[in-house]
Amino acid sequence: MFAHYLDLAWRSLKATPLATSLMTLAIAIGIGVTMVSLSVYHMMSADPIPSKSGKLYAVQLQVMDEGQTYHSADDIPFQLTFLDAKNLYQTLNVDKKVAMFKSGFAVHVSNPEVRPMLQTTRLITREFFAMFELSFLYGGVWSQSQADNAAPVVVIDETIAQKLFGRSDVVGESIYLAQRRYQVVGVTKEWQPNVKMYDLNNGAFADAERIFIPFNHAAAYEIDTWGNTNGWKREEINNFTDKMNSEMLWTQFWVELENEKEQQVLATQLDNYIQTQQDLGRFNRKTREFSLRNVTEWLEYNNVVSEDNKVMIGLSFMFLAVCLANILGLLLAKFLKRAPDVGVRRALGASKTQVFYQHLVEVALLGFMGGVIGIVFAQLGLWGIRKTSHVYESLATMDVSMLLAAPSIAIVTCILAGLYPAWIVCKTSPATYLKVQ
Amino acid sequence: MLELKPIINALLRSKVGAVLAILQLALTLAIVSNSLSIISERVSYLNKPTGYPEESIITFSVMSFDDKVDANQQLIVDERILKSIPGVIEAVGVSSVPLSGGGSNSGFSLTSEDDGKHTNSGHLYANEQVIRTLGVKLIEGRDFTSGDVLISSEYAKQPDVVIASKAFTDEIFGEGRGLGETIYYGGGPLKVVGIVERMTNAWPRFRNADRLIIFPMVNANGFQDFLVRTDPSLRGEVMKKIESVLLQENPNRVITNMKGLDEVKERYNSKDILMLRMLLVLITALVVVTALGIFGLTQFNISKRTKQIGTRRALGARKSAIVRYFVVENLIVCAIGLVLGTVATVFLGQKLMSLYSVPPLEVSYILITALGLIVLCIASVIFPAKKAANISPSIATRSV
Amino acid sequence: MLIMNNIGKVYQTDMVQTHALRDFNLQVNEGEFIAVTGPSGSGKTTFLNIAGMLEGYSSGQYMLDGIDVGKLNDNQRADLRNQKIGFIFQGFNLIPDLNLYENVEVPLRYRGIKAAERKRRIENCLEQVGLAGRAKHLPQQLSGGQQQRVAIARALAGEPRFLLADEPTGNLDSLMARQVMELLEQINRDGATIVMVTHDPELARRTPRNIQIVDGQVADFTLYQGKGAASQALKSQMGA
Repeated sequence: MFAHYLDLAWRSLKATPLATSLMTLAIAIGIGVTMVSLSVYHMMSADPIPSKSGKLYAVQLQVMDEGQTYHSADDIPFQLTFLDAKNLYQTLNVDKKVAMFKSGFAVHVSNPEVRPMLQTTRLITREFFAMFELSFLYGGVWSQSQADNAAPVVVIDETIAQKLFGRSDVVGESIYLAQRRYQVVGVTKEWQPNVKMYDLNNGAFADAERIFIPFNHAAAYEIDTWGNTNGWKREEINNFTDKMNSEMLWTQFWVELENEKEQQVLATQLDNYIQTQQDLGRFNRKTREFSLRNVTEWLEYNNVVSEDNKVMIGLSFMFLAVCLANILGLLLAKFLKRAPDVGVRRALGASKTQVFYQHLVEVALLGFMGGVIGIVFAQLGLWGIRKTSHVYESLATMDVSMLLAAPSIAIVTCILAGLYPAWIVCKTSPATYLKVQ
Repeated sequence: MLELKPIINALLRSKVGAVLAILQLALTLAIVSNSLSIISERVSYLNKPTGYPEESIITFSVMSFDDKVDANQQLIVDERILKSIPGVIEAVGVSSVPLSGGGSNSGFSLTSEDDGKHTNSGHLYANEQVIRTLGVKLIEGRDFTSGDVLISSEYAKQPDVVIASKAFTDEIFGEGRGLGETIYYGGGPLKVVGIVERMTNAWPRFRNADRLIIFPMVNANGFQDFLVRTDPSLRGEVMKKIESVLLQENPNRVITNMKGLDEVKERYNSKDILMLRMLLVLITALVVVTALGIFGLTQFNISKRTKQIGTRRALGARKSAIVRYFVVENLIVCAIGLVLGTVATVFLGQKLMSLYSVPPLEVSYILITALGLIVLCIASVIFPAKKAANISPSIATRSV
Repeated sequence: MLIMNNIGKVYQTDMVQTHALRDFNLQVNEGEFIAVTGPSGSGKTTFLNIAGMLEGYSSGQYMLDGIDVGKLNDNQRADLRNQKIGFIFQGFNLIPDLNLYENVEVPLRYRGIKAAERKRRIENCLEQVGLAGRAKHLPQQLSGGQQQRVAIARALAGEPRFLLADEPTGNLDSLMARQVMELLEQINRDGATIVMVTHDPELARRTPRNIQIVDGQVADFTLYQGKGAASQALKSQMGA
């Protein structure tokens, strides 16, 4: 029966080429526009680490004096001081914790054929790889003792290895970060999450770093941050040691917690930490404030999905509503024009339900065609976005779920639009149209 | 001769089609006028002058990994080399690049004591070539001299004088004042020796984007940003040469981020540009769809009434009366759509304003859009109506 | 009133030329009630269309009330139709979106008659066809005979001197048909000239003069009587 309806639908669409193309075009444009904003939204808001987004927590401490404000929703700074990151790493009693910040170097190798390149680098503690699910192709993370001794060891990803050596298996090779020679101990698989959730300070959609060195190299080799430094207090900073001991904010700290109980335990530890620091004259506030936000909450709190995009989503759906009204009007026109035929069908014994389904199949087919063409429009739009903005290079794409969503939305929209006209047609009594005019 | 009443009666009796057209028009008005409002806000933001001749300035960064050279000396050498490239007007090493989104912003006060009263401003440091390289207009006081410049590698030292943008001095000292007066930064005094008419700091989107203070100071390290002003017609040529001449001088470094200042600005504003383009596409597509919809409905209305039109012609209607009938009918639908649309527009505008940082909707955008939609309505009815007027009156005598 | 002299009408399609009317001659005098009959496809409707200026003709001359129709432009023909001719169609052709009052009003509006005068005439005509109480009804709420009476009212509202009726009873049962016919006879007595196309010989017999069209030509004896008169009328017209 369905095949028969499909055949009838196809014939009907072919019979009125102008109306069919108008409707297909309307739905395709609507779907195109909607899918473009939806795709960008989808990529922006996609969970960067689905298996752990509820377990990884960003730690924030309210380090600023009473009365100071910050441009976050709750006035707590996004970043930590170097001092607190270091202290928390040493004192917190959890297995999985990571202190880190972004830096960068001119990276080169002894081979003069390879041109030096400027690369961002992340200073991390060992746990980073396991917590954020980076996998090693060769070698592994440096040992704790290597970290403690500030041994010049480095983990790079396969892309960097390829660029510097032309191959991936480069464990044991030496590379230079600025003028310091480092030994490669591990090569990771390419890892570029859609959102750089662990450090949103310099663009949520910036590339993830591809070179990793131990966190305590910062102190050992005076490696300054390449990320944001936020000061909130007048301090005399004469050298890098002063900066490391200052109240300036430029580091990030994450922990991995399995359940609510662990969360409570950690909260108590953080509260204790602030208390001990208050005894040392820091954290000059009446109440001790800190916060733990998991990845999902963290992205929301940092407004990762841009306001513009939300506005676009809203406008796009209103646009789709216009298309729906449009199609509804055209379908009504078309179906009513055909009502006399339907009268004959009804007189020949077609039931109301059959007539209704026949028309719904027709609009669904229309929606499908519109959806498919809409995907083409959407791809064009996304291509345009990628051309406009480097930020959107990886975001302005359609993944499989969006590719499937496009025709589904189109079909649903069309069926919604078709319900009323189909009902009108099937409820008209056959007699009305069999009478001679 | 306007047949308003019977047209309205006829419309009321074939509700659904009219309601759909009204709905489309209302939504279109709401979407388009709100989009236009956002678009015009972005356009005026993007076109706001920065004070710099962006098309003649090049910026790039040098990352050095040669610890044997003195960074401050190297900077002076590099500036000299850059200036020797044909087409270069001036070159300077800067602590950060204006319009780039990366730089320093601090509070400045009128006393040496920390009284908690700060006026925030962006700031950067560079030597005495900076004003000429930036190509900004000094409206009061003097430019830096080489005697003003502090060459230091210590964090806390600062020079004695600064040049500030008028927006900053107006804010902290009051309109028109500031030249020769002193501001304090981290407790140290800074005398304002020059005031620049307009210069934008690293964050053009921020409220205080036009506040910038320049310190005559060089404190180079391994990472150095440069600005080069060139003859605008030779900028492309100069850009190609910079890397090779600098590496020739000292190969132990990496030259990156080579861009025009206009491209720096464009990158900083890429989200706004994108929003602008998306909205333009959206409203264009919307207008197309609405036009198709109105056209389709009119077409349908006419085909449904072929016999009626023939009858009217037989009863003595001139062709012009037929055209007028459909135009008036469409205009009535259009008018109702626009009235409802205005309500929807204001509602949407307020909703958007309460949720997001969009500008308040001005009446002019609603008017412009409404006018456009009226034109669209007339345009999409006139062709089918003319066709309708050509229906032969003899159709009336044809049975069925 | 109506003089057709050697009217010819050719329908041109890609393949063939169809002569719908050929050397068609007819004179209708003021106050006549004429029935035009003829087999289907003989050219009855074409004659009616030309007489009502609903379509043009290929050759010959057509004078309506002393005016050479061939020399008029589209607007002038529309105005002339509006002022001189009342139409009664087989399919009634009421406008479904308009109620009875508004339907009758249509030709009056095109004539630019003032609202008060319109109201008087419409009420008068609806009274005359016996539908005065139903002014607010829509056509689909009426029976076929009632619809046809509204159509007659509409034709009368303009107070035309010339009524063209196309199978006015074709879609009606015999009782209704008789009522409509009586109405037409009444109108004719009141002074209007009526030309009625019909295939019903019964109906045709009731009119004083019958014309039969066969193969696009007048095939009735009365034609030859009329022809001389027509020529004379034409001559005197041209001479004047």
